[in-house]
Amino acid sequence: MSPGGYNKRDMRLSVYLLLATLPVLAGAGDIDRGKAFGNPAAPLTIELFSDFQCPACRQLHLQQLPLIMRDYVNTGKAYLVYKEFPLQMHSHSREAAVLACASARIGKYEQVADVLFQAQPSWEESGKVFETVASVLSPAEQKKVQALSKDPTVLAEVERDIQEGQQERINQTPTMVIIRNGRKYPIGGALNYDLLRRFFDDLISK
Amino acid sequence: MTSSQSKPLTILVWLARLALGGIFIYAAWTKLRDPWLLFAMAIDAYHVLPQWAVMVVARTLPWFELVLGLVLISGKLPRISSVAASVLLAVFFGLMVQAYAKGETIACGCFGPGEAISPITLLRDGSLLAGALFLAVVSFWPKKPRYERPAEYGGAANPGRSRLSAGETR
Repeated sequence: MSPGGYNKRDMRLSVYLLLATLPVLAGAGDIDRGKAFGNPAAPLTIELFSDFQCPACRQLHLQQLPLIMRDYVNTGKAYLVYKEFPLQMHSHSREAAVLACASARIGKYEQVADVLFQAQPSWEESGKVFETVASVLSPAEQKKVQALSKDPTVLAEVERDIQEGQQERINQTPTMVIIRNGRKYPIGGALNYDLLRRFFDDLISK
Repeated sequence: MTSSQSKPLTILVWLARLALGGIFIYAAWTKLRDPWLLFAMAIDAYHVLPQWAVMVVARTLPWFELVLGLVLISGKLPRISSVAASVLLAVFFGLMVQAYAKGETIACGCFGPGEAISPITLLRDGSLLAGALFLAVVSFWPKKPRYERPAEYGGAANPGRSRLSAGETR
């Protein structure tokens, strides 16, 4: 025994354990990377809690979000983070959320989210969620996404987003939580972009 | 208004005033603590006002709610305050029912941001409207006619007063 109470074997074991956890810790940092856009040091952070099967989320994604990306995310004024918040009333939204998170791992979140919202009326009725996602992926990517959709860390990521939403007391989708200087402002539903822009500019100027 | 009411009714009226007044003050505070544009977005989501009117309402309504709450609690101007509260809550309730019936997923805007219209919010606002209407009805309630004492018992007088007078003369 060493004077500290540990022998060499114990110390070696501790080092091995620490090394074994490193990939997991590194992976945890990557989880949001595929679902976050813009400059992390931007004055505004926008956490967007959304459900792929909700019509108001579709409206926000197709109409207002491209404007938010153009005016705030691409200009470094806002950091956009997508959060999954599949509602229980929607039968396919959890599957869509898992597939979108799996696609984020291969850097295809935006494309998959776009196609899921664009084709929402179609897959909502047919239930062909994977086929919709597959339409924007190469065969090799389809295989990866299919495998990743069963990965426990991807499933855990969706659960974590849902739990975060519950902690934020999100009760409707879409909800944007705007964070500025540590203060959070939740905004629910599809919005008037002109008012939203004034609100963002007002917050940034403070 | 109060002199002619029975004691339980007077207590009920005061409780309703305090509750309604407190709720209006709280509603005003939840809007005033945040940037007014957040409330403007909530109003705009109902799609009933042009944008200039949305701006005017978003800037003024929280202050109106605050004053109304204070007047309700003070017990002054009972008719004006109860009618104003009833009209305001009827408008809110009507808009919420309309939006809910259309299946719109919008924020209620009642107590700050982040609360969607749901059966719970409808029940809550409906109950508040019922309370305000109750106050309005009571404020316009006709006063009890004075009890006319038959001539053989000493003429016209309020029964309460007459008992006191009788005690004093004995």
